[in-house]
Amino acid sequence: MKATRILAAVAALSFIGAASAFAQTATQTVTFQVDAINQITVSGSPSLLINAAVAGNAPTSVTTTGATWAITTNQSNAKVTASIASAMPTGLTLSATLAAPAGATSTGAKALGTSGVDLVTGITKLNASGLGLTYSLDATAAAGVVSSASRVVTFTITGGV
Amino acid sequence: MRHGMTTARGLCGSAVVAVALVFGSSRIAAAQHETLLVSGSPAPMRVQTAVAGSVLVPVVDNSTTYTYTSQGDGNRKKITAQLNAPMPDGVTLQATFDSPDRASSIPDVVLDATARDVVTDLPFTHGSAVTMGITYTLTATPAAGIVPAQSRTVTLTIIRAP
Repeated sequence: MKATRILAAVAALSFIGAASAFAQTATQTVTFQVDAINQITVSGSPSLLINAAVAGNAPTSVTTTGATWAITTNQSNAKVTASIASAMPTGLTLSATLAAPAGATSTGAKALGTSGVDLVTGITKLNASGLGLTYSLDATAAAGVVSSASRVVTFTITGGV
Repeated sequence: MRHGMTTARGLCGSAVVAVALVFGSSRIAAAQHETLLVSGSPAPMRVQTAVAGSVLVPVVDNSTTYTYTSQGDGNRKKITAQLNAPMPDGVTLQATFDSPDRASSIPDVVLDATARDVVTDLPFTHGSAVTMGITYTLTATPAAGIVPAQSRTVTLTIIRAP
């Protein structure tokens, strides 16, 4: 009788097992991370030519239009600096202005030199494109005639945390 | 003695009945037997670049597969996927499970702590193993910031489709 009960219990357990076998599971472990990412790009290689003046004033400055820049950063409080590889000829000043993306601040037109100057500060975790980039070239009369020359402007994102 | 024989016969008879029940149960279990296996876990997924002006470049892993068998019990099945914990803000893990013929794959399912259908209408395989690919895609917005390495367990479940 006892054996009968045991066997009956086995049978009952088997039924339960059959019912619970209905949902099968498997697992995977997904490991992930996001690194610090800072990307900046500029469009266009503008050309600036000073060829006029108003009598009595310095040669007339020229300004480019149409250039843009774009940025993606996942850090906070980053800034964009700009520099040129070699100094401008005496009496010539090349300046750059970057329009600020949302939440950041443009420092306005800044003369470019071999040391980086801040153009936009307070950039935090964003992606933005089509932002305005303006170059201007100023010359004094003392600069004289300056033959065509080029400078590479390097924009850098720094300071993000 | 007689009593003992009666007992023995009775026990034998009961045992036969019980064995028959177990056997019958095993047939039911076999008829409903489903198996779901995975080939392993994907390699660590790391978002580490972007195109300036755009969101971060997603990372895709399609190195793993799942294998299922279905003995068939008259019901079609589906597979759900669920994370053990939500993803961090701004980070999304999507999964696409390739589907066999006559089944339906739901592409780019955003995984979270709720079971989500990834494959539906799984047909019987008559005991044959069917292996299909799994694709995970990890995306992050810039607002997610820097996310240190961490893991989530993805639980896949094959269940009877409602």
